[in-house]
Amino acid sequence: MKSIYFYILFSLVSLQTFSQTVITGKVTQEQGEALPGANVYLKGTYDGTSANKNGYFILKTKKTGTFDLRVEFVGYEPSLQKLELKGDTIRVNVQLKEAFNQLTAVTITAGTFEAGDKKQAVTITPMDMVTTAGAKGDVYGALQSLPGTTTNGESGRLFVKGGDSEESQTYIDGSLVYVPYNSTAPNLSTRGRFNPFMFKGTIFSTGGYSAEYGQALSSVLLLNTNDMPAEDQLDLSVLSIGVEVAGTKLWKNGAATGSLTYNNLAPYMSLTAQNYNWIHPPESATGALSVRQKTGKTGMFKFYTSFNKDAFTINQENIEPGGSPFDYHLANENYFMNASWNGHLNEKLAMNSAASFTNNYDDILYDQTTVGKRIIGTHLKNSINYLFTEKFSLKFGGEFFAKTYLQNVSMPAETHDNNFTNHTIAGFTEAQVYASSKFVTRIGARVEYSDYLKSLKLSPRLSTTYKVTENSQFSLAYGWFYQNPVDDYLLYTNHLNPERADHYTFSYQSSVNSRTLRMELYYKDYKNLVKTNGGEFYLPTSYTNLGSGYAKGLDLFWRDSKTIKNGDYWISYSYLDTKRDYRNFPETAIPTFASTHNFSVVYKHWLNGWRSLLGANFKYSSPRVYNDPNSPVFNSERMLPYRSLDLSWSFLYRKNIIFYGAVTNVMGFKNEFGRRYASTSDVNGNYSSAAIQPSSSRFYVVACFITLTRKGIANQLDKIE
Amino acid sequence: MKKIFLSLAVLFVSLVSMAQKPEFLQTMGETLSQFSTCKNAADFQALGNKFQMIADVEKTEWLPVYYHSYCYIIMSFLEPTDATKKDGYLDVAEKSIAKLIELAPNESEVFALQSFYFIGRLVVNPMERGQEFSGLSGQAVGKALAIDPANPRAKLLKLQGDIGAAPYMGLDPKSFCPQAKELLANWDNFKPKSAIHPAWGKDQVEGIVKGCQ
Repeated sequence: MKSIYFYILFSLVSLQTFSQTVITGKVTQEQGEALPGANVYLKGTYDGTSANKNGYFILKTKKTGTFDLRVEFVGYEPSLQKLELKGDTIRVNVQLKEAFNQLTAVTITAGTFEAGDKKQAVTITPMDMVTTAGAKGDVYGALQSLPGTTTNGESGRLFVKGGDSEESQTYIDGSLVYVPYNSTAPNLSTRGRFNPFMFKGTIFSTGGYSAEYGQALSSVLLLNTNDMPAEDQLDLSVLSIGVEVAGTKLWKNGAATGSLTYNNLAPYMSLTAQNYNWIHPPESATGALSVRQKTGKTGMFKFYTSFNKDAFTINQENIEPGGSPFDYHLANENYFMNASWNGHLNEKLAMNSAASFTNNYDDILYDQTTVGKRIIGTHLKNSINYLFTEKFSLKFGGEFFAKTYLQNVSMPAETHDNNFTNHTIAGFTEAQVYASSKFVTRIGARVEYSDYLKSLKLSPRLSTTYKVTENSQFSLAYGWFYQNPVDDYLLYTNHLNPERADHYTFSYQSSVNSRTLRMELYYKDYKNLVKTNGGEFYLPTSYTNLGSGYAKGLDLFWRDSKTIKNGDYWISYSYLDTKRDYRNFPETAIPTFASTHNFSVVYKHWLNGWRSLLGANFKYSSPRVYNDPNSPVFNSERMLPYRSLDLSWSFLYRKNIIFYGAVTNVMGFKNEFGRRYASTSDVNGNYSSAAIQPSSSRFYVVACFITLTRKGIANQLDKIE
Repeated sequence: MKKIFLSLAVLFVSLVSMAQKPEFLQTMGETLSQFSTCKNAADFQALGNKFQMIADVEKTEWLPVYYHSYCYIIMSFLEPTDATKKDGYLDVAEKSIAKLIELAPNESEVFALQSFYFIGRLVVNPMERGQEFSGLSGQAVGKALAIDPANPRAKLLKLQGDIGAAPYMGLDPKSFCPQAKELLANWDNFKPKSAIHPAWGKDQVEGIVKGCQ
């Protein structure tokens, strides 16, 4: 019995040995290069092997009949071929086609600084936004360390590639922020309304952006808020200028964060030297609430709302003939609401819906004049992205903007009440086509109709990127950009057309091992800029669209987080050549906000033993021009260059307690932003003037951040690191 | 006594279910035994290939998918410098983990592996990703421990995370030594459900304990 059993077993084994098929060959990619490690197996069986280091494989199988030979390799499309197994040797050479993957394929980089969470070739990350020493925790301050921007110390706003500050727009989660900056007195620096810690990702486009964005001649800043917080926590921040309490509560697939902030510069200003006489130093209170809710598998609903009140009074020197100093008082109330939903409707269809609402009041009182300004803005947007194939996707959508601006000016002798309401309807579509994983083109167009200006505008946009080597690429971008004239003109006339800028951008980017180099050349052609012709400001006939201008320049950016251990730095340089004839310019001239050379270095170093992050930031802007009405030549005066060396120090005292200190302009460079002049001349025909100075030559901040969680391990490191 | 009975029962049940797939069990066993001979990324890739092949046959089994993912995570750690390659390997691991969570949403080991994967992402660029991925890794390990508080791999990953974060938190990494020693001492008390269930990690704990001396 036993022997029979053995016999059967033996014969079975020998039968199997007899019918062994040997499949052998080589796995290569299309150009013939071997793919070592490729997975080779018979589908549905356990018979398989891997290609050796030269791409060759030998697969032995005892199976007979028809089977599929499957060959796979990461980054390539798998191949499948039918084989007849009948005990002989089969030779097959397999060629794999490179798989196309949008995530790893080339992306368009012309004009764009993108900060993603998982991308490799990022130029600047969200974390950088808050740790740049000179930024004072301001989003816009941090962006001013990037090329293409010009620092205007008397404004604090973004000036991009020869564009005025109104030419830049800010979007949060897809919808427009009508009033992104705090209200301030003329010639005093402002900052952004939003806490940079709210955002996980930033795209700063300095030109040639997608057809999705309109109503911006120079740049768009796209801020994406944080997704779900990790756990319940309570954050306490005590700064030399204010306090903040924030609490986060999680529930299933959702979370809410509420915060209260109170800032008062009075104690700080009483301790440090100020260049101005503050009667009531800036004081503000903000309450904010944000809600996150996951919907379905991919969807995320976000809601944010805030209410902010602030006020200040500053005593201003009166430079008018015979004038005496007066108090300038400003009170601001800002209500902001933003909601968005992002998600996939199915595998190919993604949707983004967004809405924002702004209600902003400014009440200004100075020298027997009161000015009331109110902006009510609404933005609704829906965009859909349809992925036809991995290589071809189409985005389309519609937008609705409503804006009402009311202004009341009361002077002892006269009162002006003006307002306008504009509705803009816009539609856009854009196709993204990959010719290969190395070559991508985005082509689109945008149509906008404004009911107040009764203007219909079509803006074509085109951008393309070609990857020359594994690590470097060239980009081109071209487009027409329209923007309605500034509110101050629309109050008095609707007989104007939108202003226009045509962008031509050419850029090169190379990224190897945490080192990035970018070079960008651009040319901007401004048309239809609004000009005043010297008539009374309240007459519609005083405004024309006859202005024009240009801006051209070179931007350089170098970032290296590799060479210095625990260190990270970036260097930006911008060369700008721009002239324009707009507003009240008597002739074509360099505008006051433009400086020819802008240079910035940011350095950060982590000192392990000291548990400290040190930061330094040096900035230089070449002298800008300003106009002296006493001089016969327009905009012929030059102000001092802008220089500032800023330092910051973050120290992890305990696992949940961080101390932070920063000082701007440690070297005490004298910075002055030209002079302001009286509107009327004195008896000798001279216009008297006063220097425009920063609020103080240095700014100090000390802070302590405390985080309380159930586990007690989280801290606010992300706030300052 | 009750414990022994319970583990015997578990073993029995798993043996019965495995016995229905002798080829699966045998191939998994053979492939797993090759882990000890893996020296470089190419070896792990070859092994990952095998698990991929097995996963392709046994579409309802989570273990081949688990090991496939595990191989690619190890590959990312073995790659010395190229961040793009590291992320490329982790992209493969990520896909497998997504599949794994669908196949076995109540397996402690699955979330322990996910935590390991997040650490892989973190290591690519700690300066930039530290905050986000240490959080994600911590969350995953929390899930793993919630399902099975005794899972030694989950404990190990939690410990590694704590030690990694210690210098940033003002703590001495050595303050975790008693925990590491305890984990090592109890390591063998945890019995994997079968011979092909995850059993890795003891070497790593030994490494930590060695560093304590």
